[in-house]
Amino acid sequence: MSSAVAGTSARRVVISITALFVLAPILLITYQSFLTAPFFDPKAQLSLWAYEFVFNEPDFWRALGTTAMLAVGMTAISVPLGALLAFLMTRTDMPGRGGFEPLLLVPIFLSPIVLAFGYVVTIGPVGFITVWWKQYFGNPFWDIYSFTSLVVIAGLTHAPHVYLYASAALRSLPGDLEEAARVTGAKPGRVAMDVSLPMITPALLFSGVLILFLGFEVFGLPLILGDPQGLLVLSTYLYKLTNKLGVPSYQLMAVVVMVIIAVALPLVFVQRLLLRTAQRFIAVRGKGSRTNLVALRAWRWPAFLLIAGWFAGTVMLPMTGLVLRSFVSSWGLGINVLDVLTLDNYIELFDDSEVVSAIVNSVGIATIGGALSIGCYTMIALAQHRWPSAWVRFADYIVMLPRAMPGIVAGLAIFWVFLFTKPLAPLRTTLLAVWVAYTLVWLAYGLRLVQSALLQVAPELEEAARVTGAGLGRAMRDVTIPLIKHGMLAAWLLIMLIFVREYSTAVYLLGPGTEVIGSLVVSRWGSGAVDIVTCLSCINVALISLGLMVTLRLGVKLHG
Amino acid sequence: MTSAFSLSAGFQRVAFAAVAGLMAVGAQAQSLPAGYPADYQALIDAAKKEGVVTVYATTDSKAAAPLIKDFESLYGIKIEYNDINSTELYNRLIAESAAGTGTADVSWSSAPDLQVKLAADGLALAYASPEIPFLPKWAVMENMAYGTTYEPMAIIYNKSQVPAEDVPQTHKDLAKLLSTKAAAYKGKITAYDPERSGVGFLMMNRDVKADPASWDLFKAMGAADIKVYTSAGAMIEKVGSGEHSIAYNIFASYGLLSIKKNPNLVMVWPKDYTLIATRVAFIPSKAKHPAAGKLFLDYLLSKRGQSIIAKGELFSIRGDVEGKETAKAVDDLLGDKARPIPVSRELLETLEQSKRLEFLNQWQAAIKK
Repeated sequence: MSSAVAGTSARRVVISITALFVLAPILLITYQSFLTAPFFDPKAQLSLWAYEFVFNEPDFWRALGTTAMLAVGMTAISVPLGALLAFLMTRTDMPGRGGFEPLLLVPIFLSPIVLAFGYVVTIGPVGFITVWWKQYFGNPFWDIYSFTSLVVIAGLTHAPHVYLYASAALRSLPGDLEEAARVTGAKPGRVAMDVSLPMITPALLFSGVLILFLGFEVFGLPLILGDPQGLLVLSTYLYKLTNKLGVPSYQLMAVVVMVIIAVALPLVFVQRLLLRTAQRFIAVRGKGSRTNLVALRAWRWPAFLLIAGWFAGTVMLPMTGLVLRSFVSSWGLGINVLDVLTLDNYIELFDDSEVVSAIVNSVGIATIGGALSIGCYTMIALAQHRWPSAWVRFADYIVMLPRAMPGIVAGLAIFWVFLFTKPLAPLRTTLLAVWVAYTLVWLAYGLRLVQSALLQVAPELEEAARVTGAGLGRAMRDVTIPLIKHGMLAAWLLIMLIFVREYSTAVYLLGPGTEVIGSLVVSRWGSGAVDIVTCLSCINVALISLGLMVTLRLGVKLHG
Repeated sequence: MTSAFSLSAGFQRVAFAAVAGLMAVGAQAQSLPAGYPADYQALIDAAKKEGVVTVYATTDSKAAAPLIKDFESLYGIKIEYNDINSTELYNRLIAESAAGTGTADVSWSSAPDLQVKLAADGLALAYASPEIPFLPKWAVMENMAYGTTYEPMAIIYNKSQVPAEDVPQTHKDLAKLLSTKAAAYKGKITAYDPERSGVGFLMMNRDVKADPASWDLFKAMGAADIKVYTSAGAMIEKVGSGEHSIAYNIFASYGLLSIKKNPNLVMVWPKDYTLIATRVAFIPSKAKHPAAGKLFLDYLLSKRGQSIIAKGELFSIRGDVEGKETAKAVDDLLGDKARPIPVSRELLETLEQSKRLEFLNQWQAAIKK
């Protein structure tokens, strides 16, 4: 009995600490939205002025509408696509699966600014594919700067996020159900639609809501692809808002965040409603079972072509542009690529002392920091695990909040918290602060991944442990955690990739000694050193793909 | 974990102070620059005691590297250089000043309007640099904020896309070209977006001040379906690739860098008038190491520092520095057509909300077809 009490208070402590970290920046932003000046300005007064100002801006409504369409559109593309990719990669005998996996994840760790720029080099108005197309077929049917292109590119490049969630869930699914369906004559497509994918509904729902969220804060893609047409989404609208008044007006930014939160909370509510019957999805039962792959037979090569097609459009197309740009001094109309080939860009890159330290810091914060973050996320997930209570409902709502802030605002809010909280102040310019910021902003992301693994663990296993006398902690340590270790590994991988390119959250915490690749890319991009940016990104892709391949090899052994 | 961390940071500081101390002993013998007051040695000593100078700057750390190296070897004082954008710089400075935790020792930004605002709001330390006699009057604001560079705002074009007879030498030429050949240059002209970019706003505002006929130019740009951007990098890259042909109001320092890499790019300093931008530096009133901040500011303005600025293609502001990228060379070429943007309270006007919105409405109306 006493161990159960201890367990409950431990849960409360974990959730309280989480709430503290999440709510500090959010409450600060909420407070800011009702002020007339920065909250630390003695002249600041309570007022609704900021709300009036923003709601009277036609640009705001335009940006909100565009953002909503973008978010819905990209979710509609990336969720089915990601689920399909996951099914083909984890549950079937499609050829070339092993080789694809690390490459599949490239869009996650590539800075969206760089990715978008890669598209401009290949299929922009004077991109080399466009120019070639014009020679043979006349005017191209696409316009890279149109809203449709933005939605499609955003959808395609976010599919790997869904893939990671879905594949982690699919891996822990026993194969007997699929086998039964296949034996009774169902085609692979039918198996996927009626058996495998319904079984991972929680993972798909989670990822759908998360992609929708990401849609509200995408910045890099619309910044590059929407720039020439002046296409505004909420995150780029913040720029315009800042500039309209001459100096950054935090209260106006805060209002935009409030609007996003107002959209986000009902979403979480709907998600919870849909998941009320999570019990249905329990797949990891007390009995072990071996996973057999679904034989695609005649569908093997069409499936392969599908993935190869996605890969060509989403990874090869922009990557070719980037690699090419990194090896030339200039490109475009009237330039023969062979005349301008050079290695100077790379030589110059390594002259830059910051580059090396940025690479080292990024790798460190992604691998070690990522693992620590997963540790935190697992603790929070376990605190919520099988504990139907108001505490858990509360936690479900708040974990989404940090992601509701567009990166630049989140960065500012976290900076303020570190600056104005005296005990935290000394940490402000260390990598530890950067790590806290990253962990916080990607909380919903990592947590959901651990949770969807947890959802699949049947209660009888833990109950068995409890009945034989293990306390709550012991049951979790010896039963639950070992059962979700695949989920945790996949979560670590995902978080690692995201941390590598993340930066906007920590933009105000970065300084000499804490620079990361993401910040270097953005700062060099701003001053026009496009060649440095592309080289750095190519090296980044090479390094991480290598790292991934090694990790997945190890991962495969762990599965084996 | 927390205590371990601050412990190690504390240890680093002690170790660093020891090293800096040793270096200071070695460098004791150097003499004061000419024209400096006799008590300047006291400032140097105080700065060495502080041992470190924190700089928030918008200038790429790479471009600033030679300056940093030279300053460190001259005084044995370490520079902690934070390379951030002008909005981030502003946000950091006001928050840190308010939090009372201390802030940067030098703020050095390419957004002169924001810098002037910070100084006017009382966030800059009043300090009369001994280098003032060598600086133009317009570059010094009330012994607080100092212009450090002399950068022409240029037109950059791609010579494979713009035939020789089309090349605009003046603002009027450009307006004429865009209105007479609007079809040929449709979507080919690009500039900073005054609605989304602070630099863009300031420059267009100064254009109108320098020549009210600029509105005709903006109208012509609108007729040619101008594409506006938020970063110079994107504009230069796309003029280089031929997606656009002409970029308007680009810092000559960025232009020089890109010309070196892409022989198709050519830079023009308009002959009717050329705006001159300057990177503004001041010492924040809440600086942690004010003596070191003063020392670095003086160094930045000194002949030695400015010679390095000229070599780094950032354009020296001092009349007595020789070389191609100097105020002297620019003035030799432009004669009396240089229009420096003054470091003065005059810039506060451009930050006034109603005036800003009015200007932006006018801009919108001008570029509407």
